[in-house]
Formats: sequence, C-alpha cells, structure tokens
Amino acid sequence: MTSTTSQPISHPLEEYIQRLQTGDALLSDYPENVVEVVGILKSYGVVLDAYSRNLIYIANHQFLVFFPFFKYFNGEFTLSKLLQHWGHDRINYEYAEYCMKAMLWHGGGGLDAYLDSPEFQQRANQAIQGRFKNNLLILGLNKLFPDFLTEHIRQLCYYSALGQFWRVMSDMFIELSDRYDRGEIQSIPQVVEHILNGLVADASKPITYSVKLRDCAPRSGQANRIYEIIPESVGLTFLMDTAVPYVEAIFFRGTPFQGAVSYNAQVHQIPTEQKEFTYGALYADPLPIGGSGIPPTQLMQDMIHYLPNYLHEIYRRSCRGEDDLRVQICQSFQKSMYCVTTAAIRGLAPYPLDSTEPQQQQANHAYLEGWMDRFLTSRLLEVNQPTSRACQLFPERSTHSAE
Amino acid sequence: MLSVFIWIPLLGATIIGFWPELTAKQARQVASLVAGSLFIWSLVLARLFNPDLPDLQMSEFIPWIETLGLNYYLGLDGLSLPLIILSGLLTTIAIWSTEANISRHRLYYILILFIASGIAGTFLAQNLLLFLLFYELELIPLYLLIAIWGGEKRGYAATKFLIYTAISGILILASFLGIVFLTSAPNFDLAILSSGSLGIAALPLKTQLILLTGIVIGFGIKIPLVPFHTWLPDAHVEASTPISVLLAGILLKLGTYGLLRFGVGLFPDAWNIVAPWMASWAVVSVLYGAFCAISQTDMKKMVAYSSIAHMGYILLAFAAATSLSLLGSVMQMVSHGLISGLLFLLVGVVYKKSGSRDLNVLRGLLNPERGLPLIGSLMILAVMASSGIPGLVGFISEFIVFRGSIAVFPVQTLLCMIGTGLTSVYFLILINRVFFGRLSDWVVNLPPVQWRDRIPAIALAIIITILGIQPSLMINLSESTTTALVSLSATVAKASQTNQFKILK
Repeated sequence: MTSTTSQPISHPLEEYIQRLQTGDALLSDYPENVVEVVGILKSYGVVLDAYSRNLIYIANHQFLVFFPFFKYFNGEFTLSKLLQHWGHDRINYEYAEYCMKAMLWHGGGGLDAYLDSPEFQQRANQAIQGRFKNNLLILGLNKLFPDFLTEHIRQLCYYSALGQFWRVMSDMFIELSDRYDRGEIQSIPQVVEHILNGLVADASKPITYSVKLRDCAPRSGQANRIYEIIPESVGLTFLMDTAVPYVEAIFFRGTPFQGAVSYNAQVHQIPTEQKEFTYGALYADPLPIGGSGIPPTQLMQDMIHYLPNYLHEIYRRSCRGEDDLRVQICQSFQKSMYCVTTAAIRGLAPYPLDSTEPQQQQANHAYLEGWMDRFLTSRLLEVNQPTSRACQLFPERSTHSAE
Repeated sequence: MLSVFIWIPLLGATIIGFWPELTAKQARQVASLVAGSLFIWSLVLARLFNPDLPDLQMSEFIPWIETLGLNYYLGLDGLSLPLIILSGLLTTIAIWSTEANISRHRLYYILILFIASGIAGTFLAQNLLLFLLFYELELIPLYLLIAIWGGEKRGYAATKFLIYTAISGILILASFLGIVFLTSAPNFDLAILSSGSLGIAALPLKTQLILLTGIVIGFGIKIPLVPFHTWLPDAHVEASTPISVLLAGILLKLGTYGLLRFGVGLFPDAWNIVAPWMASWAVVSVLYGAFCAISQTDMKKMVAYSSIAHMGYILLAFAAATSLSLLGSVMQMVSHGLISGLLFLLVGVVYKKSGSRDLNVLRGLLNPERGLPLIGSLMILAVMASSGIPGLVGFISEFIVFRGSIAVFPVQTLLCMIGTGLTSVYFLILINRVFFGRLSDWVVNLPPVQWRDRIPAIALAIIITILGIQPSLMINLSESTTTALVSLSATVAKASQTNQFKILK
C-alpha cells in the first residue's frame, strides 16, 4: 500500500531561505564577488556623496524656484562649469532625481503618511506665505490652485529625505572600502554584516527638513527665518521612513522606462497596480535593450569615474575590455544591491534569522518566503551564476539544437 | 594608360611570387599597394575621361596573332569606366579585409592580383577573343580561392562554380567563333563586328538568334539568371568574405557587362525579337531570387539570393533597351557592386565575431554595449540601400531602371517593382532576427570589432550615401555611351532591315 501523504512543497528559492537562516547572504560568497561588491560600493559611495549634496542643496536653496536652471551647480555657477555641464563631463544628478521621484511616487513609510497630514499642510502653507510674502500674483494663484505649491514642497521633502539617507549610506560604503583595504573584510557575509551594523547604528537617526527664507515683513528688517517643514517632533527616522521605502521603491518597484510606457502598456506588459511593479535595481537587465526594465545607466556612467583600480583592472581584462564597462558595472552593482537587500531583510526579520527556537524559525521562514516570492522574477539566480569574462561565440545551430 | 590595369597586377603577382622570405604581412602590403594604386589610377582616368564623347577613349592597339584575328585592343568608354573604378575599389577592400595571417599567403595574393588583371582586361578588351581570354583568366584563380580558402564544402562549391563557368565560357566562345566565321569580318575586333555592312547586322535573323542564344545563356550563367543560378549560393556560402565581396561585387558584372556589350550591342535586331522574353525572364529571376531569399536562414545565402534578384533588374533594363534603362543598368551594376560588397563584408564580420550566420541562432547584435552596434547600423544602411530607399544609391539605380523600362514593358516592370518590396521583406527579417531583441542569455561576451574590420564597411557606406545624394557623379560617366548605344542599335537595326528587304527582293 502506498502512502498518500503529500510532502510539503518547498519554495523554489528554498536554497536562499536556507542560506539566510544559516547566516549566509543572497549573493554567493566567492572571492571575486567580494572584490566586485566592495569595489563597486566604493565608487557608489563617492557618487552617492555627490548626489546627496546636490539633493540637499536643491531642497534648501532651490525652495519653490519655478525654473531652477542651475540646480545641478550646487551654487557654484561659472562659465567653465556650464561648459562642462553642456559637454556632459559631470555627475548625472538626474539619476538622483529619478530615484527621488520614484520614492515620491511609490510612497510608503512615515514620510508618505506625514506629507498627507494637516500638520504638514499647515507648515507648508506657512513656508509658501514666507516665500511669496510680497508676490500677490503667486499667492493669488496659490489660492486658486492650492495643491500646486504644496505638491512642490512634498517633492522637496523627498529631495531632502533622500539626500539625508544617501549621506549615511555614502559614509557607510566608503568605510566598508576602507575596512576592506585594511584587510578587515574578506567575505560576503562580512560585507552584509557591515551594512547591517551601519543601518542599525543609524536606524533612529531623525529625518528633518527645514528651510531658511528671507523674511520680508516690514518690522523684521530682512532677517532670515527658518521654516520647519519636517520637524524632529514628527518622529521620522532613517531606517523605517527612508531606508525601507527606498528599498521598496528603487530596489524592487522602480519605474518603467518612460519611452516604452505607452507601447508596453498597450500590450499589457505594465501591471495596473504599482505594488506589482518589478522595474527596480534587483530586476533590471544589465544589457540595455530598450525594454521597460532599463538598467540605471546614468548611475553606471557616474561610477565609471570612481572605480578602484583593482576592480577596473578586472573589467579591463574581460572580453570587451572597456567597451561594455557600464554592463559590467551594472552586474557588479546588482550583486552589491543583493548584499544591501540581505542586510535589510536581516534587519527587518521578526526574530534573529539564526534563531534555533522552532516557533521563531517558522515565523522567520514565513517572513523569508514572502521575500522570496518577490525574488522569483528577479535576477537573483543570474547574479549567482559565475561571471564569464572570456569571449564567447554563438553556438552553431546544429550544436544548439543538439542541446 | 589602360595596360596599367592589366600588367601592374601581374607585375605585383610576380614580385609576391619571387620575393624571398616574404611574410604574409609584406605580401598583403604589396597587394594592397598594387590594388590601391590601380584604384587611384582609375580615378585619374575618370578625371581625364571626356564624358561627352560616346566613343572609345585612350585606346591601345597592338596587332597580336593576326591569323586568329586576335589583337591586343583596349579601350575605355562609359560602360567600362565605372566598372573599372568599382573593380579597383572592391579589390582594394577585399585585400584589406583578408585575415592578416592567412595561410599560403603568396598564392592567395597572387590569385587575387590575377583576378584583378583578368577583370580589368575583360572590361577594357575591344576584341572578342581578347575579351574571352581575360574572361577565362579569372576562372581558375577564383576556383582555387574557393577551393583552398573556402568553408567546409569548398570542394563541392568550387567544382560546381568551375563547371558552370566553363560551360558559360564554351558557349560564349562558340558564339564568338560563329560570329566571325559567319560574317566577313577579318578579325574579332568589336568595332568591325558592330558595323552595319561587315558586321553581324548582315547576317540572317535566324543566324543572329542562334548566336545570340549562345551569348545569352553563356552570360546568363555568369550573371546568374534563374535557372542557371545554382552555383552562386554555394560559391558564396563557401567562399571567404573577401572572395564573396569580389564575386558579388565585380565578377557577376562580367556577365551583365558581356550581355550588354555583345548581346544588346551586337545583335540589336535579334535582341528586339527576344526582348519581351528577356523581360519576362527578368521577372522570373527577380521574384524567384526574392522568394528564395525570404526562405533562407543563412545570412550569406540570403544576400546571395538577393544578388540573383537584383541582377534581374539589369536584365529588365537590357530588354527595354531605352537610353534611360541602359543608363540605369550601368548604375545598377555599380550600385549592386557597392551594396552587395558592403553586405558581404558585414555578414563576414558578424560571422567572424559571433561564430554563426544562422538567423535562428543570432539575435540582439545591435546591443550598444555587448553587440556589434556599428556593424548593425551599417547593415541597416546597406539593406535600406538594397531595398531602394531614397537617398541611397540603390534607389537611384532602381528608379532609373524602372523609369526607363516601364514604357516598353509595363507589366514586367511592375512585377519587378514588387521585387523591391520583397527585398524589404527578407532584409527586414534578417535585421529583425539578427540585430533586434536581447542577446542570448548563454552568450553575452562577443569579441569586440576592430577598426580594421569597420573601415572598409564605413568607406563603402559613405560612397553608397554620396552617390545616392549626388548620382550625377556616376551618371555623367555613362550617359553619352548608353545613349549612343541605343542610337547605334537603332541605326544598325534599320540598316539590317534594309539589307533583309533587299535579300527578300
């Protein structure tokens, strides 16, 4: 007599659940992966530093400026910088804005909730009054269309919040690289541990936003006045209100490539629900093919300038050399993002992932299965394939069909 | 001046053959120098050439074997000059595109230079027997180039080429001998044979038709026209890239040039009778070639069948035999030489870098980072030119052919125009499958393309574009000659009718 008891169906990515429960990372622990991840995070750290400074500059100094032509100059406008800008010899701050807008669009976390609160509305109105005190035209328009300037301020809040988030991350990645240079980091789990510790250390760091405006009131004597848009009392913090929404918006959801939206939407390739979007960094195809899940090419272009020599040398030795540098950077970047995601998953787990308590293990398993469901269509399996850097030709049809 | 095109390549071949310890690099340098110099010399002659004169220019005449009627008689006119320039250009490109470390380098470059000499002699010869000598001279070198440096089935392809082309030579020889023996001409000189009294026009129409049949089939094999085309796809598939460039770019033009010079030019009466059949034959060639191209999965075979289709346009233009259509036919010879040369070069680069020409295997090669983006872009330009997109040389030549033919053979012309639509179909299939989409998951590291591979393709693309925008550069060279050819045919035809009328009386 045969038994009819059905075996529990294991998750297709059960291997990765096991990895996480045994203290390993989503990314396999190979020596080349360590070099790639640390090297790319170093260049990412440098770029994030620049992005962060610019976002905070825009939030603080381009407050309700309708035509911010020189917003990427960080207040240091010269003719030579303008020529550099036009010659595209510069950091692509547009990518930082793309991330900011993706966060604004997808929302989530305490920041999103606060920006819809009456308190924010009131503080935003005060700032608008302060900014356009003597400008009757704008104030009149504001009365007619009260959402317009408020929405601008919401966006500026995201400028500031993302700038503050990246400030922390930039320092964390640079420190990771310094530790690697000192020989303290030698494995992928150590990389994850470093990121997790960084996230935990700054988890409760407050996220605030205030803007200093010239007060034009008759008795103020043109003094500056500080308008607190997000005061500390709101209680927004680094981890839950910026890091988690950021991971959701940028790593997972992303936005479809604008140029392809119409076409992809017509053929029902774009989900109707935002939460089902999978255009983020963990899903992006490193090969630019003009599809809707585009790689973050501008970021790759920026990182080219700050690659550490040891990583640049690995890329140079590949089949195409420098021809496909952006693709190689994207592959490494994707690996590093799986390390950051591992740290986030570990940090947000209901119980320590290496817990031996059965009930906790079960809860952790269910928690991890939820994440793995989202990884089913991601590039998790691809990034764990050995990276081939040697030249390969197409197999002839006979060989191909024989396979 | 003209002998330079024949003797300098032979001198170059001798130097390569006897220079002690000549490396592959040096052999290539010598061959490049010779071919490049000839190309420049052809441009110098184009500058010296008076395009307003329809007659032969820069003629060279040396009596050779008078008992056989064979004279060393060369001349340049508006038919031969564009093809001489094309030959110089494509020979240079073929040598440039040859692998640097090719095996048996001495023999390889000697054979290429022999072909260059033979081709130049064929286009310049003004004596039928001399023409045939040069026509045959390129046969053995080409056979060897396919048989030694070809692909897997090179022996089969080379032998097939040899048999077909040898039959072509025999038929042409028989017709030429028949012409001289049946006319009262003292030798094989073209000028005598095309004259009204001593020449072919004096022969009875039936005899003319029999002689013309030999010429049409002989050159039809070389062009090639359906059903004599089967050697071409095999030869192309097995030949290396430089040889395919020479084969499609120049050697096929020997057939069309021969048919124009010795078929349309020498047999105006008989040609008028067979012209409707020729036009229908052109339609069959165009449509058959196009449909075969659509069904191919090998890029090279597809381009080879497209050549068969495009040669059909030239036959249509010959059949119509108006001054405009004949001008279009010369332009089509040049434009097809440039476009097919570019297509074969690009297919060669794709094969070299990807390891396959199979449309079912290749995809995503236009990828800007890891594909062959420049090669893909040039391929798009080449197929646009081949499909007759305005602004490129293919449009000009096809438009003139159709404009010149439609008044004479409207139905056949319209059917051939469908062929241009079909060109877009098969080449879009090629572009769509090979270049669009995503690179295969299991193969994403294709070797980079060197500038050495890109330069010849870029050069051809530039010429195709310039001649598409400014076709007068080419038209001016041939217009008087093609116009004169039509009026000469009309005169000869008139004289012939008078003669026959007298005979009947």
